[in-house]
Parts: sequence; C-alpha cells; structure tokens
Amino acid sequence: MEGVTLFLIASGLTLIFGVSLVINFAHGSFYMLGAFLTYQLYPHILYRTVPGFYITIILCGLIVAVLGLLFEVLLMRRVYHTEHLMQLVVTIAGVLIIRDLVKVIWGVNEAASPVPDALAGAVVIGGNYIPSYQLAMVAVGIVVLILMYAALNYTRAGIILRAATDDRGMVALLGINQAYVFSGVFFVGSFLAGVAGGLAASFEAVDYLLDTRVIINAFIVVIIGGLGSLSGALIGAIAVGVLKALGLLWVPEISFVGAYLLVAVVLMVRSFRRSVE
Amino acid sequence: MTEANPPSRPLDVDSTAVNWKLTGVLVALTAIALFVLDPRSVFAITEVMIFVLFASALNLVLSYSGMVSFGHGVYFGLGAYGIALTVARFDWPIWAGLMAGPVLATIAGLVYGFLSVQLTFIYAGMLTLACAEVTFGIAHQWFSFTGGESGITGYVVTRLGLSPEMFGLTVLIVVTVSLLLLWRIVHSPLGLVIRAVGENPMRAGAMGHNRKTIQLIAFTISGFFSGVAGTLYGVFHGNVFPDYVGAQFTLDGLVMVLLGGLYSFSAGIYGAVIFKLADNIVSHYFELWELVIGIILMSVIILSPAGIAGYVNRLLEHLRRRTHA
Repeated sequence: MEGVTLFLIASGLTLIFGVSLVINFAHGSFYMLGAFLTYQLYPHILYRTVPGFYITIILCGLIVAVLGLLFEVLLMRRVYHTEHLMQLVVTIAGVLIIRDLVKVIWGVNEAASPVPDALAGAVVIGGNYIPSYQLAMVAVGIVVLILMYAALNYTRAGIILRAATDDRGMVALLGINQAYVFSGVFFVGSFLAGVAGGLAASFEAVDYLLDTRVIINAFIVVIIGGLGSLSGALIGAIAVGVLKALGLLWVPEISFVGAYLLVAVVLMVRSFRRSVE
Repeated sequence: MTEANPPSRPLDVDSTAVNWKLTGVLVALTAIALFVLDPRSVFAITEVMIFVLFASALNLVLSYSGMVSFGHGVYFGLGAYGIALTVARFDWPIWAGLMAGPVLATIAGLVYGFLSVQLTFIYAGMLTLACAEVTFGIAHQWFSFTGGESGITGYVVTRLGLSPEMFGLTVLIVVTVSLLLLWRIVHSPLGLVIRAVGENPMRAGAMGHNRKTIQLIAFTISGFFSGVAGTLYGVFHGNVFPDYVGAQFTLDGLVMVLLGGLYSFSAGIYGAVIFKLADNIVSHYFELWELVIGIILMSVIILSPAGIAGYVNRLLEHLRRRTHA
C-alpha cells in the first residue's frame, strides 16, 4: 500500500530529474501540501463518498501542480544556468518555507482524513482480509501507471519529454521551447506528488514533518530504480515496499536500515559496473 | 545525457596569507564578549563557535573538493559518540575519550568517503545520505550499546566542569586553531590540488592527480574537523543522542555553508553565525524562523550566488582600494 504512494512520488521526482537534472528536495513538501489540502477540502466535497474522494484528490493534485508550476517559473528557472548545488539550495529553501507555512495554516498537530465509507470495509481474498481502501489505492496506482505509460509513449508531449530526458540540447535544437518542457514536467511531477499526498492523508499521520520523511524514502526508490527512469521508479517502489514489510516481519531491528543498505549496495554495484566498462 | 559546461565560479578573492590583524581582533572581541556578557549569551556564543567549525569543515568538501555531502551530521555526531561510548562503555579516561571522538569521525569519513568517491556528484551525495542513515539507524536501534533513542547522558561532567566562560574560551582556542589549520590546508599545495580536482577533475587528472584519492583526503580531513566540533558539542551538553548523527544537523550544516556563500573560506563562519543568530533571536520574537532562513537563502541564491561571504569580500576589497588610493 505504501508502495503506491511511493511510486507516485518517486515517478514525479524522477520525471523532474530526468528532464531538468534538478534534485527536487521540495517534492516531498508538495506531497505534504497534497495531504493537507485533501484533509482540508474533502469535508466540503461529497464528504465520505467515493466519487467525492477521487474528485478531492484530483483537485488537490491540480492545486499542488499549479504551485509546483509557480515554483518552477518564479524560482527554479532563475537557477538552471548555475550549478547543481545552487539548484539544491533553492529546493531546500522551498522545503523550509513550505514547512513553516504549513505550520502556520494547519498547526503542528497531526491531521487525518477519513476513508470514504464505501472503502472502509475489507474484502476477503484467499482467506485474508484485505482492506478495501488498500485495493482502491492499488487500483489508482495501476491506473496512473497505465496513463503515464500511454502518455509517455503515444502523445506528442510524452515523446518530447522522453527526448528531453535523453538529450535536452538536441530537443532544443529541434525547435522545441525548453522552458515549456521544464515547466510542464514540474507541473506533472507536482500533480503526482499532490495526488500521492491526498491518497496518503487517509492512512498516514499527516503533520508538518511529513516532507522530510517522505522525500528520503522517495530518493531511495529513485536511486534503486535509477534516476530519470519511470519503470525504475516502479521497481524501486515495489522493492522498498516489500523490503519494509518483510523487514518488519522478520528482523524488525534492521528494517530501519534495510532500505539504505540496499541503496548503498545498488550504488556500489553501479560504480563497479561502470569502472569495469 | 548532455550537460552544459560547468559555469565559471566566482574567483576566490581571499589571499594566501592569514590576515592576522583581523583574526586577532575577532578572537579578542569574542574572548571579551565571553567574559562580559550574561550566561545566556555566553552559551549562545559557544554554540555558534562550535557550528562555525562544523560548517567550515563541511565547506572544505562543498566549496573546494567538488563533492556534496548529504550526511555530514554523521561525522559531527560521531565526534560526540566517540567520547560518550569510550568513556561510558569502556571506562576510558576523559582525555582519551576527547581523542577518540575526532578519531572515530575520521575513520567514518575515511570509510564512507572511500565508498562515496567511487561515484560522482549526485550519486556520491546519495551514497553519503545512505551511509548517514545507516549510521543513524545503528545509533537509534542498538539500545544496549548506543542507548538507542535516549542516547547516552552523564558520561562527563557538563563542560568538563569548567565555568561557562572558561569552557567558551577553550572552545574559542580549539576552533581558532582548527580554522587556522583548515586555512593552511586549503592554501597548501595539497589544498591547491583539492581545488583543482574540484574545479575540473579531468584537467587535474591530466596533471596526474587522481580525483578519487584527492577527494577522499579532503573528505577525511573534513570528517576529522567535524568530529572535533562534535566532540566539543557533546562535552558542552554532556550528552549525545541519535539526532546528533541525523538529518537535521546535516541540513543545518548545509544551510549554513550555502547561506555563507560557496567558494569562500569564510562561508562557514558567516553562515553559522547568521544561522544561529536567526535561530536564537528570530525564534525568540517570531516563531517561524525557518521561513526567514528559507527566504534569506532564496534571495541570497537568486540575487547573489556568492552569498554573504561574497558581499563581505566585495566590501573589504572596496575598502582596501579606498585606503590605498
């Protein structure tokens, strides 16, 4: 279940990195905003019903996407020409600012959004009770995955995006306005983060520290899967989800570090392979 | 993937010789402040000095060696764990514990640094993060040895039993000597090679300097001085918690250096002073000091990438020209 939100966040993060080469620390903050917005808006939109739930989440995703777009246009755009470190600073500053704004608006207490009534029960599959909400989340994950796959492979925008990930200089030479590509990818990435946050609002404790908790996990996923790769984000999310679940079951003592050890191993194998090549 | 040419960096305007006059004045002023001000301020100044050293050590990695570290809290925290563990668990004498802190941090810097330099930029940074989180996990979970979440307390008398003023003076001496050493290192032939590797690893490689070796040396040195700062911090508070090796200290350190301004030796000094001032003063009147830091940081980057150090250097240069003319 955690895997679905992880996949959504990580895919946004990896898309943004793939095109703009920006490591967006503020991505977790957009996720957190999505969660808080859902908590805030759901009571006003067909409260506790399934359609209302989906409408809220998509609406919150769009709001967050607009914020992400503003972040790109107003701030990030000014630092693309500078070094990676400078870009990192801007995203870290974004984290600090968003976190304090969240504190002002929603306070420091945990917020929780209810699960829609229709999804509050459980379904019996093969003798195991599986909460309906988890199934619904997995469904959302699959829908998003299919949509993204289709969009990336069969739409013009998707093809431009993949081309830009591959070689952004060449894309610019082909007469495509890079500024639009960068803004677009921030918009889509932030939308995914917002949706993930909305989904998480119903099962995770949402507070102002959610941003750092989630961004570190998202980085793990993205590193394991390979920066800039969407299918990598999927594999990474599943790997981390399974690792965490199994770790808790078998060796709770090291479940905390298991994912990081995996990252270290993946990175070391990478460097080893590269030095062999 | 193609990457644009790395943009040219602002030239390092600081000269090679130590500005003894300025150093002397600053040290003397701090020393006087320690004995004149009230205990609360003495406490704050001591903490600022410790972070000046930590940020300057991190700055060696960030500004000069061309690496990033998302896990520098580890070397800081291990400084404190080094003394806490040896004294509390192995009954070492205090003086040996004081040595053990920086040594442990240096070893960690060497090991994690060795792993990280195998990769470049962002992947190396992520590996430092992964190493840091593993360390945090160990500190957090190994109850019988590290005390888990509640850490280790009471392994030494807070401030070694010194009065706040005398401890502040001790910290002042250690930090000053460390900064002078760091300055020497940055401006030594080794420092020049570190900078060459940081600016253009290919060209430095063509001159026969191995990027990995040089970066590892820089990283280890940085680990050592971070450990010194961490040991001071541990003794200052007489405790150690997993948070000391955690992400918050790492982030604070990064923010300090970036606030101070990359590619300048004094980045750590300005950054730490301003960061801690904001922490102590702004948070006193205004709850949202992170917001303030965030906005300052944004404006520094967008208006003046050379940071506060850049401003001050330009001002000093201007004054120097004035007086000479």
